[in-house]
Amino acid sequence: MNCDECKNLISVFMDSELAEPQASAVQMHLAACSDCALVCADLSSILDVCITESPSEIVPPNSQALWCRINNIIENEKAAPPPPAEQPRGRFWQLSFGQLSAAVLCIAVISSLLTFVTISNYTQPAAADFTTRSAATQTTFEKVLSKVGLMETPQQARETRLKEQQAAIDYWNARVQTRRTQWNHITRDAFDRNLQAIDESVNDYTMILQKDPDDELSGEMLDTVLNDKMNLLRDFSDL
Amino acid sequence: MIWIVKNRIGQAALAKTTILLSVVFFLCAFAVDTSAQRSFSRTYPTGQDIRLQLMNRTGTVTVEGWNRPEISIRASMDAPTANIVPQSLSGMILINLVRDNKGRDVGNVNFLIRVPYNAKVDIETKIGNLIVSNVSSGLVRAYISSEGDITLTNIASSAVSAENGLGDIFFDGEIQEEGNYRFSSMRGNINLRIPFTSSFKLVATAPSTRSISLGEFANSNMSFVGDGRRVSGRFGSGSATLTVTNQRGSIGFIRR
Repeated sequence: MNCDECKNLISVFMDSELAEPQASAVQMHLAACSDCALVCADLSSILDVCITESPSEIVPPNSQALWCRINNIIENEKAAPPPPAEQPRGRFWQLSFGQLSAAVLCIAVISSLLTFVTISNYTQPAAADFTTRSAATQTTFEKVLSKVGLMETPQQARETRLKEQQAAIDYWNARVQTRRTQWNHITRDAFDRNLQAIDESVNDYTMILQKDPDDELSGEMLDTVLNDKMNLLRDFSDL
Repeated sequence: MIWIVKNRIGQAALAKTTILLSVVFFLCAFAVDTSAQRSFSRTYPTGQDIRLQLMNRTGTVTVEGWNRPEISIRASMDAPTANIVPQSLSGMILINLVRDNKGRDVGNVNFLIRVPYNAKVDIETKIGNLIVSNVSSGLVRAYISSEGDITLTNIASSAVSAENGLGDIFFDGEIQEEGNYRFSSMRGNINLRIPFTSSFKLVATAPSTRSISLGEFANSNMSFVGDGRRVSGRFGSGSATLTVTNQRGSIGFIRR
């Protein structure tokens, strides 16, 4: 016996009106199938309520008035005119496959063109140079992107870049410190002189940028001397 | 009795003389040993397209172009002497003293290398001077990590890069069309001697000194920006690119 046959017979089975072979078949199926057993249990609990509870508790008070209200609601719904705007709107958005394909194609072409134009315009200031630029030379497009948070402002970009450079400098400096004890005094002196010259420049540009954060040239030079410092440390770390 | 005394005095003098002579001999021998220079010499035949790549630690490197299809390497080494292990790879002669002497204290190594005119030259040193002359290949690169002068004379390469920390840079050569030229120093003087027929786009920056002398190359297409810290513009049709940066020194242009 399958589940459908069992569900068809289950009500009759619970009323004990099934013939013996069918009743035993249902019983066996219920023992094996948890879904049908659950249906049987639900039905059984409903029957129990009907048997145990008094009719006054099952039937709501003033059932006549309840039926009247239900009838009134049904009558009102029948009398109300059908909503007029629904059908045309549905028809308006029903597009053929060709129309849909054309629309998707148009969107793809337009977005590609927009992307191409945007990128072409944006390559004017190279990405690497962005860290050294000031807010004064930002394009309107860049300003908009910065305001909505899709792009870093030049100052934010510079700070991020400085942090990255400083991290690299710290890394190479730690390596240099472990190696420099093995250098001879000529190497040590040359290294120290160069590091001092670089640090002087770093301090100069940092001070200028503190006074005038929009000084692009100092931003660019600071970036350059920090790279020089990184290279010096890296070059001497393998001696 | 007198003879015995004289004999004893003579023996003592002889002993003293012997000791003194031994000490002098030892000192002389030691002095000769410490000041000794060892030399290295090797020659490699080359093909049409060859590149010399050298990474030195300390010392002067001189590279000269010559009209022979071979690379000649000569080096004189101060004590403690360095290991020099040139490698002849396909189209490249590689000498890396940094790698070959890692963790060792080595003295100056002064190279004199002769290469075919058309050889690409890429040389580096941590400390010391770099001198390149008579090269007309696609590349001349000279890089000093810290201090030393760079002298490039009679160069006709399309890509030239010279970079040092403390020291002067002198370039005397041609500016090729579509070429790329980069000179950068932390502190020193950068002087470029180029033909008046050159054509290039220029960005020259001397932020600390503002000392940028264009000489005869000054024209209306060149403009000073950033309170005179940078000159940018074009000379001639401007097909080559010339970038010069001197953080704490001067930049000068001389007509060749």
